[in-house]
Amino acid sequence: MAKSEENSIEEHKEEIERELEFSAGYRWQHWIRAISIVVLIGTGFYIAVPFISPVQTAQPDNFLYALFRSWHIIFGFILTYVIFYKSFMFLYGQKYQMERDAIKDVFNIKIWKKQIGYYLLVSKHPKLSGVYNPIQFMAYAGFYVMMFFLILTGFILYVHVYHDGLGGFLYSPMRYFEVAFGGLAMVREIHHIAMWGVILFIVGHIYMAIYNAVFGKEGAIDAIFSGMKWHKKH
Amino acid sequence: MVLNGIDESYDTLHNKFKDRIEYLENLPKIDEKRPIEDVIKESGFGRRDFLKWAGAITAMLSLPSTFTPLMADAIKVADRLPIIWLHMAECTGCTESLLRSANPTIDSLIFDHISLEYQETIMTAAGWQAEENLENAMKKYKDRYILMVEGGIPSADTEHYLTIGGHGKTGKATAQEASENAAVIFAIGTCSAFGGVQAASPNPSNAVSLSEVTDRTVINVPGCPPSEKNIVGTLMHYLLYGTLPALDVYNRPKWAYRLRIHDLCERRGHFDAGEFVEQFGDEGAKDGYCLYKVGCKGPYTFNNCSKQKFNQGTSWPVQAGFGCMGCSEPDFWDTMGTVNEPLSDKLYNTTFGGMGADATADRIGLTLLTATAVGIAGHAAISAYKNPKE
Repeated sequence: MAKSEENSIEEHKEEIERELEFSAGYRWQHWIRAISIVVLIGTGFYIAVPFISPVQTAQPDNFLYALFRSWHIIFGFILTYVIFYKSFMFLYGQKYQMERDAIKDVFNIKIWKKQIGYYLLVSKHPKLSGVYNPIQFMAYAGFYVMMFFLILTGFILYVHVYHDGLGGFLYSPMRYFEVAFGGLAMVREIHHIAMWGVILFIVGHIYMAIYNAVFGKEGAIDAIFSGMKWHKKH
Repeated sequence: MVLNGIDESYDTLHNKFKDRIEYLENLPKIDEKRPIEDVIKESGFGRRDFLKWAGAITAMLSLPSTFTPLMADAIKVADRLPIIWLHMAECTGCTESLLRSANPTIDSLIFDHISLEYQETIMTAAGWQAEENLENAMKKYKDRYILMVEGGIPSADTEHYLTIGGHGKTGKATAQEASENAAVIFAIGTCSAFGGVQAASPNPSNAVSLSEVTDRTVINVPGCPPSEKNIVGTLMHYLLYGTLPALDVYNRPKWAYRLRIHDLCERRGHFDAGEFVEQFGDEGAKDGYCLYKVGCKGPYTFNNCSKQKFNQGTSWPVQAGFGCMGCSEPDFWDTMGTVNEPLSDKLYNTTFGGMGADATADRIGLTLLTATAVGIAGHAAISAYKNPKE
């Protein structure tokens, strides 16, 4: 650490403190989710249009497409689990009160104005009730809507590949949703379109994370690794 | 070895079928025709062929082979059930699928033999006489006749686009009237099952499926056309059981439409191996690789084509090297995208003055992604120059 920076932390020690923002469970689920999404997007594009072919050999044991599909399904289940875990925690988790607190700001037009103004560089950052600002909260809400669409359409596609076990158990209810979506082809398209929604979300999400790290001065990006964030002492 | 329990349950079913056949046998014949055995024999089929056919139908309906003689008996009494076959907005392809074969099959002979009280394509009557036949049949065999409907039904303010006969009745009115007093209703082909091609966007005649114009249960036998086996099989199933078959979510008989084309496909191994035909006529095509990348819609389509095949069991599209079009699915014309391209190349109607033509989900996604990236770059640059307020 450079000398001047050390001094500056010393200088501010009386004014700022480190606070736990994200619990360990929160951070784990975030990163498991991130990795799953990346794997799922990659394998998903292959499943839609298989863009590489294996070298043909005399031995018919190179099941490339089946392999891609396997990884897609494995990470699909992992993602489903963390999404369910996080959704449950958001609703009932004790350590997630700071997330639920953010709902209040969504209905506050003044905070909306200030937040938009902050990003347009014309007004100061509003004082928030929870950990998320209203734009952020709505983006996450949209992300979860897409996630639930992806999980549901994913399961509809799954029960037609694996007819036993869980696939057999979910077969009848999933066929009900299949009809509601307008057939298996539409299910596949909605799955594909929702994925594009997730890609757009990720780009925006990463940009805002970096933006807040650069300008926010609260160590916001640290919080998702260490869980800790810097706050002004109140 | 079969378990005792299962054996007994089949015995019950066997007796039930026997009773049903006896019951039908005692019904008066609709009109005095020669027995079907004679017709089949005269057409050049031996008893062996006939039993082979009966065995095939038995297997198709998932019944054990001990039911084969019963099936043969059932066909003999098929002329006791009056059938009314209506044509709506359609191409007659489903009727043709049954009748127009180079060598008549036993299926088509049976179709000739059963008591078609009214069938526009093959009846002799015309004009007022035809109208009268229909009216009489509906009155005489009230609550007894089997109704088979082919074709979509124009509705709403374009209902009159399909107007038939001297009374100027619309197709919808006829279909509704006939449905009311039918013993059982079969929608033959994708048009009457789901609306089909004429219900494709923008659906100028507001064509709908038969099930949308009647409150009665309609059994859908979709396909464009459905194989003759699926049509006759549905009929034989009703003949034997006297009840409706087990149906899937789209009211299709499960014995025929339970699994996807993909699940029953002979090229499935190449799919899982990642071996695909890249374009028609390439090496992969010669080696019988999977047709997924040249637009096969088998993964989204429920049917038994690979098992029953077409043209007297000669072949079916995928065997012939052409992907499935998804013709037995609802709205397949709109939902399945371009015929010879995979589903992810489906075009969306995003015109924007021509700019949005040829827009696939991936292209729209990439455009939005680019716009996002440009926006981010701009915002980041301005923010770096003029920091946000603290």
